[in-house]
Amino acid sequence: MQKIDKEEYQKRLDRITELFAGMIAHADELSTVRCPYKNRFDECTAKFGCRNQRRPRPGGTLLTCGGDDKLDYRGAWETEAKPCAYVGSEE
Amino acid sequence: MAELTDIGNEFIRDEIEEFLEREDERERAIATFAGVTPEMQAIAAALIDGDHHEVDALTKNALDAGTGALEVMDDGLISGMGIVGIKFRENFIFVPEVLACARAMKAGMAYIEPILSASGVEPIGTVIMGTVKGDLHDIGKNLCIMMLRGAGFVVHDLGVDTSEDEFLDAVEEHGAPLLGMSALLTTTMPNMEKTIEAFIDSDMREDVKIMVGGAPVTQEFADDMGADGYGKDAMACVSLAKDLLDETKAETNLNA
Repeated sequence: MQKIDKEEYQKRLDRITELFAGMIAHADELSTVRCPYKNRFDECTAKFGCRNQRRPRPGGTLLTCGGDDKLDYRGAWETEAKPCAYVGSEE
Repeated sequence: MAELTDIGNEFIRDEIEEFLEREDERERAIATFAGVTPEMQAIAAALIDGDHHEVDALTKNALDAGTGALEVMDDGLISGMGIVGIKFRENFIFVPEVLACARAMKAGMAYIEPILSASGVEPIGTVIMGTVKGDLHDIGKNLCIMMLRGAGFVVHDLGVDTSEDEFLDAVEEHGAPLLGMSALLTTTMPNMEKTIEAFIDSDMREDVKIMVGGAPVTQEFADDMGADGYGKDAMACVSLAKDLLDETKAETNLNA
């Protein structure tokens, strides 16, 4: 089996840490204006219920997010696992 | 100077074309990917796509074919993650996509760990992580895990809604010197203290350093409940984990 030099490996870890640190800083900044559970398709990846959750798009599996991020999205988060809200989704 | 067309992988070419807007970053990415093998381009592409199954298979194949582990890290995993970082910074993707890419990176790193072990390079330490009983809010925990793994820790993620027994069992099973608990809700915060008490009742409190975090958690609350440390965010989590490990090593040396 091949061998890895410890110092060379540490250099890679340092590079990964540097990359991730930048992402964490951006995630922190972004979380003030956008729910972190919302993906790029405005779908909800949370395991808990949220009053902003709406029914999935046709063919989709994830609930969509109906939040506009103008108000603090955390107020809509619920404690239960079930996506119980679906506010307005039945219309 | 390398051209975009020098990159054989169409997905990578499209990513650079569509998402890299800064000229210096485009040039650097083109130079990087034009200079790596198609196999490494494929690993990077799968990672950027957040496809952990594909990264898993491609990394295994590359290593089996004799590609060096550091080459896989440099040219496949890290270079792919560099593109992910730029896309995230420019708001083309968001936290869930970043976490999917981090998961894909972990899938690749899983094949590098045995090589490290065979080379005598041990992980920094092992950490058990989970959100406490009743709490399903896991994004902070997941970002902490991403940072910890990136820093070289082995992390066993117990997920959300973790009972005291699950924490106890995991620490025992993996011989982990570190445990991290997170809570977002004030109503679930007391379950951190209950878990710590469960470790005391099981005579395992001395075996593990416990760190806590989450939006409503403070240093004062952490101190009151008897935790060993409090991390206010994912960055702090890594330095705290390293400090607590150092403490453990110092205590072990004292008792030896």
